[in-house]
Amino acid sequence: MTARRAAPLVTSPPPLRRNDYSLSEQESSVSGLFGDFFRQECPSERVRAAEPVGFDRALWDRLAEVGAMAMGVPEEHGGDGASAVELVLVAEQAGRYLAPVPLVEVWCAARLLACTRGGTLLKQQLAAVAAGEYRIAAALGGWTPGERQLVPAGAVVQAVAGVLGDDLILLESPNARPHVPNLASTPLAWWSPTDEQVGSRRLDCQDAQPRALAHDATLEWKLLTAAALTGLAAGALELGVEYARLRKAFGSPIGSYQAVSHALVDVAIAAEGARRLTRKAAWFWQHERAGAPSLVVRAFRYAAQAANQAATVGVHVQGGFGVSLEADAQLFFRRAKGWSAIAGRADDDLRYLADLELDGGAEIGQEGTGDGLQPHPG
Amino acid sequence: MDFSHIPDDAEAMAFRTEVTAFLTEHLTDDIRTQEFTRGVPHHEQFHRALAAKGWVLPDWPLSEGGAGLNPVLCRILADELEAARAPYVTRSTTVMVAEVVRRWGSDDLKAEVLPKVAAGTVRFALGYTEPDGGSDLAAARTRLTRSEHGWTIDGAKMFMTSALDAQFCLLLARSNPTVRKGFTTILAPLDAPGVEIFPLQTLGTEPTNAVFFRGVEVADRYRLGAVDDGWTVVSQPLATEHGDVDEGPGRLEEINAPQGASYVMDMRRLYEHAQRWAAAARPDGTRPIDDLETRLQLGRLATDIEICRNTPGPMARVLASELLIERAAAMLDHVGSRALISYGADGACEYGVFEWSHRFAQATAIYGGTTDVIRNIIAERDLGLPRFARSALMTTEAR
Repeated sequence: MTARRAAPLVTSPPPLRRNDYSLSEQESSVSGLFGDFFRQECPSERVRAAEPVGFDRALWDRLAEVGAMAMGVPEEHGGDGASAVELVLVAEQAGRYLAPVPLVEVWCAARLLACTRGGTLLKQQLAAVAAGEYRIAAALGGWTPGERQLVPAGAVVQAVAGVLGDDLILLESPNARPHVPNLASTPLAWWSPTDEQVGSRRLDCQDAQPRALAHDATLEWKLLTAAALTGLAAGALELGVEYARLRKAFGSPIGSYQAVSHALVDVAIAAEGARRLTRKAAWFWQHERAGAPSLVVRAFRYAAQAANQAATVGVHVQGGFGVSLEADAQLFFRRAKGWSAIAGRADDDLRYLADLELDGGAEIGQEGTGDGLQPHPG
Repeated sequence: MDFSHIPDDAEAMAFRTEVTAFLTEHLTDDIRTQEFTRGVPHHEQFHRALAAKGWVLPDWPLSEGGAGLNPVLCRILADELEAARAPYVTRSTTVMVAEVVRRWGSDDLKAEVLPKVAAGTVRFALGYTEPDGGSDLAAARTRLTRSEHGWTIDGAKMFMTSALDAQFCLLLARSNPTVRKGFTTILAPLDAPGVEIFPLQTLGTEPTNAVFFRGVEVADRYRLGAVDDGWTVVSQPLATEHGDVDEGPGRLEEINAPQGASYVMDMRRLYEHAQRWAAAARPDGTRPIDDLETRLQLGRLATDIEICRNTPGPMARVLASELLIERAAAMLDHVGSRALISYGADGACEYGVFEWSHRFAQATAIYGGTTDVIRNIIAERDLGLPRFARSALMTTEAR
C-alpha cells in the first residue's frame, strides 16, 4: 500500500500582541469606588425588597448623585463620557451585588441616542439621562413589523429606541409599561410601535445606517451585560466558598471534600476567564473596534455560561438551604439566566461567531461600523 | 490594559526571516511526521542545529551560550517553533532544569554542564514521579544515601519522558527518612552503571520511560541546593510546569501558562484541520462548512481557544487540557467514520489528526501533575478552602 505520506499543516503563528490585563490607576479607582458603593448601598435585603419588578428608585437616585448615569453619556452631550473599560468595571460591581437598577440598559440607549441628530430635544433628553431623571432602553434586535418586543428594563423606562424596518425609532410612553413577571425579577415589559398608548418618532441617523447603529448598541449591551454576569459569577462563588468553609458534614468542612471544592474551582476558573475576556473585549471595543465584535460575543457567551455555572454550583453546595428562598444563592441563580437569555438564542450568537470567523463577517457583521469587520486577529 | 499589536520592526522582521529559513532547512517533513508515527520528543540533529544558533537557551546571554534575545525576539522564536511543530518536549525540560542548575548548582557544576546544554550535547529530564506516588510527589521513596564518593541512588522513577534522549535527570530523592519532606535534589546521570531505562508506549504516541536506579553512584557536586532542602529546589520548576508564572505589564504570552499555552496550540491545530476538512467539497459537491451544525461546531472550538487564552496560570492548564479532550472527542463524532482512520492509511482525512488528537489529548490532563492535583492547589491557595480531606494516617502527619 502506498498511501502518500505527507506532513500535517504548518500554520502561521498568531500576530504578536501585548497581553496586559492590569488596570490603570483611574480604572482601579473607578472599580474600587463602585465596589464600595454597591457593597454599602446594596445588601441582599435591598435586592429582595425591589422584587418582583427589580427596580430600586432610591438606589437609582443615589447612583445619579455619584455620577453613574453621566458616565454613559458622551461629553459633547453633557455627560462624563466614560470609556468602555470603565463602564465594564462599574457593570461588574453592579452585577456582583445584583443591583436592581437598569444601568446597562440606560447607558447603551443613551450612547445610541447620542449617535443621532436630534437637536435641542436630544440635548435635553441626554442631559436628563445624565442627571438620572430620564430613563431609556434599547430594544435588542428591534421590531419586526406587527410584532412586539420584550424590552430589558422596559417597565421602568420612559422611552425605548430600536429599529423598525430601515429606521431607528424612539417610542415614548407617558405611563410606565406594565411589568412582565419573570424568572429573574427584572423590569421586563412589552413595547410595540403600534401600541396606541405609545408615541413614536423616527430618529435621524445622519450618515450612519440605522441597523448598524442598533447592532452596535446590542453589542454594547452584550459587553456590559457580560461584565455584570462576571460580577454575578464572582458573587455566587464567594457565597459558595464561604459556605463550604464553614459548613461541616461527616466530621469535616465540606470544602475539604474534592467533590465540593473541585466544583467550586471550576467555577473560579470560568469566572476569572470570563472576567478577563470581557475586559479584553472592552479594550478592543475602545481601541480596535474592527476586532471587537467577535470578542464581545464570545465574552457574553462565556460570561453567561460562567454565571449559570457559578449560580448552579452555588445552590448545590448549600444543599437544601440553597433551594430555599431565604438563601441568597437563589437570587444569583435566577438572575444568571434572567440577565443573559433575554438577549435571544445562544445558538444565534454561535452562528454569528461562525459567520465572522469563517466568512470574515457576513450578514450582521457587514452592517457594523462600516470599516470592514474582521474576526478577532489570531 | 494593553492588547495592542506589536508590529515586527526591522530587527524582528529580519529575525523572523532567519527563523523561518532555519526551520525550512532543518525541520524536515520527516521529523514532523514522526510526531504522528512514533512521537518525537527530541531530534538530535535538529536540537544540535538549534543549539548552534544559541536557541536552546535563547534568552540567556551570549557569554553563557544563549542568544541574548530580548523578550520580543524570544516570543517570535517560540511562536515560530510552535507553529511549525518543532520537537519541544525534551527541550522544555532541559531549559527548566538548566534554570535550576544555574540557580542552585555549584560553580563547578555550572561550568561542567551548562556550556554543554547550550551546545545541545547535554539534555535534562525530570525525575519526580514514582510508580507508587503518581502526582503525590511527597510520597517519593527513591533513596539518596551518603557513600564514599558522594551519594548512592536506589529506587525507581516513572513516566520520565526524554530519559533516552537526556544525559541527566533532575532527581528528587529521599535523603532523610525521618521527615516527610526530607528530600534532596541532584543531577542524576542516566548513562551510569546501575541505571536501567524501560521505554513505555503511550496512548498519544509520545514515548515515555520507567527508569530504575540500583546503587548508582553520583558525586556530591551534582547536588542542587542544600541537603534535605530539595523541596525548595523543585518548587520553582514545579510552579513553572503548573503554569504559575509572574504576570506583569508588558507580558507577551498569549496565555499565562507554559503548558496551557501548548495545549492552546494543540487546540488551534485541531481547529485549523477542522476548518480545512469543513471547507473541502464532498463527492456530491456540498461542503460541511455550509451546514449549520458544522458552523456551530467550529464556532464553539474557536470560542474555546479564545477562552483558554484569557485564563491565567494553573487555571488555564486545567481548562485547556480538559477542553482539548472534550473538543477532540466531539470532532470525532462530528466528522464521523473517516476521522477514525490513522495517519497514512487509505482514506485518512486531515493526516489522521482527529483520531490522533483524541488519543493525544488524554495525557495533557495528567502529566506535570493531574488536573485534579492542580484543582487541589487552586482550591487551597486561590479560594482559601480547607486542605482536602486526606486519610486518617496522613492527616496526623505534618505535611
